[in-house]
Amino acid sequence: MNLSFFDQFTSPCLLGIPLILLSMLFPPLLLPTPGNRWITNRLSTLQLWFFHLITKQLMIPMNKTGHKWALMLTSLMVLLITINLLGLLPYTFTPTTQLSMNMALAFPLWLATLLTGLRHQPSISLGHLLPEGTPTLLIPALILIETTSLLIRPLALGVRLTANLTAGHLLIQLISTATTALLPIMPAVSILTTSILLLLTILEVAVAMIQAYVFVLLLSLYLQENI
Amino acid sequence: VLHTTRPLHTTQQCSAPLPPLPEKGGEVRYGLIPEEFFQFLYPKTGVTGPYMLGTGLLLYLLSKEIYVVNHETVAAACILTVIIYGVKKYGSDVAAFADKLNEEKVAKALAVKNEAIKDLETAIEQEKKEQWRVEGRSYLFDAKRNNIAMLLETNYRERLLTVYNEVKKRLDYQVAMQNLKRQKEQDHMIQWVEKNVVQSITPQQQKESIAKCILDLKALSKSAQAAV
Repeated sequence: MNLSFFDQFTSPCLLGIPLILLSMLFPPLLLPTPGNRWITNRLSTLQLWFFHLITKQLMIPMNKTGHKWALMLTSLMVLLITINLLGLLPYTFTPTTQLSMNMALAFPLWLATLLTGLRHQPSISLGHLLPEGTPTLLIPALILIETTSLLIRPLALGVRLTANLTAGHLLIQLISTATTALLPIMPAVSILTTSILLLLTILEVAVAMIQAYVFVLLLSLYLQENI
Repeated sequence: VLHTTRPLHTTQQCSAPLPPLPEKGGEVRYGLIPEEFFQFLYPKTGVTGPYMLGTGLLLYLLSKEIYVVNHETVAAACILTVIIYGVKKYGSDVAAFADKLNEEKVAKALAVKNEAIKDLETAIEQEKKEQWRVEGRSYLFDAKRNNIAMLLETNYRERLLTVYNEVKKRLDYQVAMQNLKRQKEQDHMIQWVEKNVVQSITPQQQKESIAKCILDLKALSKSAQAAV
């Protein structure tokens, strides 16, 4: 089929039924459930080790109350990593390229951290609006700036993830189009473009994992401030 | 609607003991197609059967443009290269790492068991040693008794020595007293005799003795002069 550059970003639809939910739920299905054994197969062992690593990394800087968020953050991280990495395969749809999905993940979680902070320790939460050691004259301006930065956070979280992945996928598509178009005309340049594409693919793999990690890390940081 | 012919509860309703995991995974050719597929086609089409099927299928898809070669093909080639390179290079290391994790888990449990066994064995040996010690109890008590007797004996002898020394001191005192008395009497007598002698020397006798001395000296000096 002939693809335009928008086709990989359109939410999949089959006979009018939106398949976005299926495309979001499918990646976690690829992860095996641990089952009843003590010594599992290699995939389960590696998966368990990976989850332990993530949970430890996220939970070490947090106090006890923050540990209630462990399941949420770990599962979010795993979801994002699998979705991002699976999106690099050809002809796949990556749900995280949709701004709607990323905002739906970022906004409620950020709001939860904010409300937790305001509910349980309002003065400390509001105190984060003013960094330590600012000159007295700058205080009003700085409070305004910090409030803006606080309110921009969910937008930043969502858009960061969306933009990174969309840009990456788009670049892959554009460069592979260039390779395909140049192949009959100038094969040497086409090979050069292929090598660029290879490097880009490696970058995209890294970006997929890093963006998922950054998303969850920033959320955990916002949580640490407020809990 | 539940069909009454559908069998219910056909499994054993018990998870234990779990069947063991197979040691190696299923045999796979080219990382994707299981060996069973090749074995399945072997009786009818021989060794090259599945390959012919694959080639034919691929050519069919390409020629009929059911699969269109577009930019995604190039992207697919790249990502597959990256994946296959990754798997080939790091696959065995990752597998070894997973095996190591499992080994450590088993080793920890085994270590606990072995530690417990060792501790119990040490406890048994110590118990046996204690039992052996109990047999030697009588010797211990005899030795202790001997010690105590020796202590008593030593103490008694020390006290005897003290008594002896005290008595000797008293007797020495008496002896010294007597000696002192005798000495004093002697000295007193000698003094008294000397005093009386000195008193009895009259001036007349003094002159006579001095003159005799002078005469003796003269005689001596004459003999001395003669000697010189």
